[in-house]
Amino acid sequence: MSVSPPPSPTYPPAIEPAVAQIGDLLRGDYALSPRTIALLLLQDDPEIWEEVQLQESASTLERIRILREELEKGGETPLAWQIEHQRQQWSQQIAAQVTQATKPPRPQTLADWIGWLCMNPWTGFPILALVLYFGLYQFVGVFGAGTVVGLIEENLFGEYINPFVENLTRSVIPWQPIQELLVGEYGVWTLGVTYAIALILPIVTFFFLVFAILEDTGYLPRLAMLIDRAFKALGLNGRAVIPIVLGFGCDTMATVVTRVLETRRERIITTLLLTLTIPCSAQLGVVLALLSAYPLGLAIWAGVIALVFLLSGWLAAQILPGRATPFYMEIPPMRLPSMTNVLLKTLARLQWYFMEVLPLFLIASVLIWVGQLTGLFDLALRALTPLAQLLNLPDQSSVAFLFGFFRRDYGAAGLYDLHEKGLLTGNDMVITAVVLTLFVPCVAQFLITIKERGWKTALAMFAIAMTVAFGIGFVLSRLLNALGVQVG
Amino acid sequence: MRRQARAKPTVLIVGNPNVGKSVLFHKLTGRYVTVSNYPGTTVEVSRGLMRYRGHEFVIIDSPGMYSLAPITDEERVARRILLSDRPALVLHVIDAKNLARMLPLTAQLIETGAPVVVVLNMMDELERAGLSIQVDALEQQLGVPVLPTVCLSGQGVDAVKELIYERLAAPLADLPARD
Repeated sequence: MSVSPPPSPTYPPAIEPAVAQIGDLLRGDYALSPRTIALLLLQDDPEIWEEVQLQESASTLERIRILREELEKGGETPLAWQIEHQRQQWSQQIAAQVTQATKPPRPQTLADWIGWLCMNPWTGFPILALVLYFGLYQFVGVFGAGTVVGLIEENLFGEYINPFVENLTRSVIPWQPIQELLVGEYGVWTLGVTYAIALILPIVTFFFLVFAILEDTGYLPRLAMLIDRAFKALGLNGRAVIPIVLGFGCDTMATVVTRVLETRRERIITTLLLTLTIPCSAQLGVVLALLSAYPLGLAIWAGVIALVFLLSGWLAAQILPGRATPFYMEIPPMRLPSMTNVLLKTLARLQWYFMEVLPLFLIASVLIWVGQLTGLFDLALRALTPLAQLLNLPDQSSVAFLFGFFRRDYGAAGLYDLHEKGLLTGNDMVITAVVLTLFVPCVAQFLITIKERGWKTALAMFAIAMTVAFGIGFVLSRLLNALGVQVG
Repeated sequence: MRRQARAKPTVLIVGNPNVGKSVLFHKLTGRYVTVSNYPGTTVEVSRGLMRYRGHEFVIIDSPGMYSLAPITDEERVARRILLSDRPALVLHVIDAKNLARMLPLTAQLIETGAPVVVVLNMMDELERAGLSIQVDALEQQLGVPVLPTVCLSGQGVDAVKELIYERLAAPLADLPARD
């Protein structure tokens, strides 16, 4: 090939000789060129220092250190900045040389306009409300969690598959405890498999579908920009939008996705917000079912949860050391998503969901089995009963709270029965809905928090969620009484 | 055959978030992968096999990175792959509309001494923005091959496959040496 201009930038006169000298000093075997290693050392890259320390002699290391320090002292700005600046200049020069305008940029396209409207606070929040209402409430909630789950869980599993599996198990396995473990009320099949496949799977499928569409149209990055400023107050930045929005589908998955956040601090705050305030699709289903007859109750519930979300995020940001990291996100153009991509993505996420989450449901049913066999459950129920009394709720509601942790719809069904019997008033329903939402979403989410954040943090969050849930429930019950508010 | 004893050559896809790395990966390997247009989804690294003209190549899709000096975990992961897998070819996927912002990473990749190929992606969006890039001039400036593509529609992807084959398989096959 003919001689071309330098294929990578030449750095400022002070830096180039140091780069060359360090490059000459290096004796080890590296995957990167001596020039790259030298530049990264000048930028004080810890991982590269470690690598070099393994391979070079003490005197070489010392000489590199001295070279670096002298350079750093001599320059007005940090070395890393100077190097980066030079690269940008070089890039802009090349880009300018090879790029040409073919025609004046078109007036803003429709897609540009839509994109702009999504980010402008005046139009962005109403658009967000529409997206949540149609995408989340109507499509995932009413259609997915209502219609489709009804068909699969009640008809397919409830009437055909489960009775068959149950009869089969009971006729093949004679021991009652084992029967209970497999097909009892909270058995591996009846709770674990049925719950994961018949209830959660359809809901998350619909949710992932909506999420993939929002992603591929370019809406999510715009939402991140829209919300960035508000999130700063919570010690987060726009990036946290992704796990938070995902939390409305499945808090367990969202907890895993906090990996995209940059600092441990952001991950902890987000996990706490997910644990405490973000209702997953199953929780939303329960709450909507409980409160559908009480619009005022629904409004109180939403207000309380939003308030707790902001307060707990703000408090966590004050308490945890560190600051919000700057947010830099590219805004891709709005585009029509490719359906193949959306489907592939949904499929890939579902596959992931099965690998990671299904085992947790199986573990949960084994835990319940052990809890019931050993009588630990009765103990837990006795511990919860005074809490229920504190909220002026009937004793039986503690059963709903405990089982709600393992299986949301059981908790809901229990509460619904209580309501039908006239034991729960409208006010009680609102309080119960608030407590259920603030409480740890489910055992799977708790287990994944242990896996992602460690024992200590997970237990601390559990304690916080427990305290806040019943604390807020208590305050709310007194407040509604004091103000004479009667829901329904 | 001699070829079978040899390890399959590895091709690493790198680039900023949102430039179409995962789409390219998918088009090259035909496997499932989560494709996204916000930074962060490709936290886990996908590997896949590309079959072309009877040869197999390992394709690795790395998490998005802005610079070789890492700030985020994703960038750290991306660099570690570059360090530990020592790929036989590095495909740097860039967004043609934002050439000036993409080239700093190209520069750093070229500096490492690894064999770099620039995949100039999203040529359709560049055109829609009313711009064009002289590919051969860019090639000259960088001293590495530059391939214009529209990965989403598959345009130019065959040229990428052909180049991978030419660079990695042709010299190994029992063909007369090319000069």
